[in-house]
Amino acid sequence: MTADGHAQILDRGYRKYDGKRSGLVGAVRSTAWHSARSVLGLGRKARHKIAPVLVIIVAMLPAITYVGFAALLGGDEFVNDFLEGVVPAFSELPRGSLAAIVLFTGLVAPEALVRDRRDGMLSLYLSTPLTRRTYILAKVIAVGGLMSLVVLVPTIFYLLGMTFASLGPDGFGDWITVLIRIIVSGVLASLVYALISMAAASVTDRRAFASLAVILTMMGALIVIQILVEGADLSVNWRLLDPVNMPMEMIGRIFGDPGDYPEIGSERIYASNAGWAGASLGLLWWRYRKAGA
Amino acid sequence: MIAATGLSMVFGSHPALDALDVAVPPGVTGLVGANGAGKTTFMSIVLGLRTPTSGTVSVLGLDPLRQGAELRANVGYGPERNVFPDDMPASDFVKHLAEVRGMPRGEARSRASDALWLVGLGEERFRALGTMSTGQRQRVKLAQAIAADPSLVLLDEPTDGLDPVQRDEMLALIRQISEDYQIDVMLSSHLLEEVERICDNVVALDAGRLVAQGRLDDLVGDVEGVTVELAEIDDVPGSIDDVSARLRAAGLEVHHGPGLSRMDVLGASADEVADAVRDAIVDSRARVRRIEQRRRKLEDLFEAVQA
Repeated sequence: MTADGHAQILDRGYRKYDGKRSGLVGAVRSTAWHSARSVLGLGRKARHKIAPVLVIIVAMLPAITYVGFAALLGGDEFVNDFLEGVVPAFSELPRGSLAAIVLFTGLVAPEALVRDRRDGMLSLYLSTPLTRRTYILAKVIAVGGLMSLVVLVPTIFYLLGMTFASLGPDGFGDWITVLIRIIVSGVLASLVYALISMAAASVTDRRAFASLAVILTMMGALIVIQILVEGADLSVNWRLLDPVNMPMEMIGRIFGDPGDYPEIGSERIYASNAGWAGASLGLLWWRYRKAGA
Repeated sequence: MIAATGLSMVFGSHPALDALDVAVPPGVTGLVGANGAGKTTFMSIVLGLRTPTSGTVSVLGLDPLRQGAELRANVGYGPERNVFPDDMPASDFVKHLAEVRGMPRGEARSRASDALWLVGLGEERFRALGTMSTGQRQRVKLAQAIAADPSLVLLDEPTDGLDPVQRDEMLALIRQISEDYQIDVMLSSHLLEEVERICDNVVALDAGRLVAQGRLDDLVGDVEGVTVELAEIDDVPGSIDDVSARLRAAGLEVHHGPGLSRMDVLGASADEVADAVRDAIVDSRARVRRIEQRRRKLEDLFEAVQA
């Protein structure tokens, strides 16, 4: 209705656009957001939501369980002292979700990468301001962001829950320090898992095979290294090639903990993670250097 | 709009484009040629997706290799491949690509809707792409190409897989977006007839080489002879072949297969040809079924090159 009460039909229709454009930043942001939505099944049929939601819930379970116990039993000083001895440290919590994290890598990267190659979206993306580099950047942001749902978010939830149950870090300064360590270690570990799984998923154009490739890369390397170090008595440094445990070990080192492999120096742990990330990025770039043209 | 100099692209030992010198003015331009002529390769280079082996190209005044992202923000592209994310609604698909091409989120949503209405899919815009027919998918490809208001749209075989009615509608839409919204269009096609119907300009390729380029009006349409279709009469056997022989004897170029009733007659002057055909028919006592002026077609350009 107009101000004078008359009905009005506004037929905008297709027209020229002279407004502001979001450029490359907008293209990367939109592609990353769209990929993340697609992986989580948002805007898709219910069956696409089941697997990711289930894995995220499983990844959250340890944090929910410990926070639940703390909320139900805590409050009394004696009980709190007991709980502090039982509940895991903030750097150790992600290890409780390791199975869910590995499963999630097999789910996220194939869905984010392989679909685009199979359904023609990749060549369409490359006809936009996105280049192969910025396309990969958008995908790394999407997959890394999604990985943080199972690596980082449970620990933040754990920190908040423990804080409300009076079992969190002492004082505001410590609390902020822990929060920063959780965020930095969680983001870095998510990024390493994201890059490794994306590189493994890039070797095939079939989603099921890509999931298999990701799981095999993660679990295969883990098992082989376990056999080499514990069965064949090789140097503990072989564990640096373990793509599943090294990001977890890095989380511990960022918190200043000795971790599960105290005999390996922190600088080697960081170098291992950087090596996995760099090699994965290299493979990813090599696989995409001519894709979609 | 597009200018290329000495543009070559070699895959292994196979030259996909061979030293093309092309200048494409604004309007609707048909990039024509048989399958494998180099049309898609040319479009890839124009978009900055491939680096040419040699030569230079400029699109909308920009270098596709150095200013690719800036260029592609102003170019819409409809690929030949007819595969989409099946479970995505058409409106989400068009909106997302409009956003990637630079539209703010709110604007992208309304423009996606407007573009889908424009191509005739307003009522179907919330349907999943996987449930759409080939014709509807071609329209969605056009809608996503224009949703971000580009200056130039590249369409690779936009009528592929369409029936004649759908083809007419698609060609009319392409003409409309050029005329009503001043969007320049380059469409690739191996169907010469559809290019002749809607294009202002033509770039014709054959095995990677430039066959012809320029305004369609300059390349085709000139009257260059007569097409005549004759009927055999029982009491004058061989009259059709006799007409053909008389015209050849008069120094005219006659395209007439043995036993066929239709012939194309070419000569220096259209009037001279018409007079000669009339006289030959009368002298041979042949019966005329149809006679019409023969206008030069794109097909003739390709036939001349192959000859």
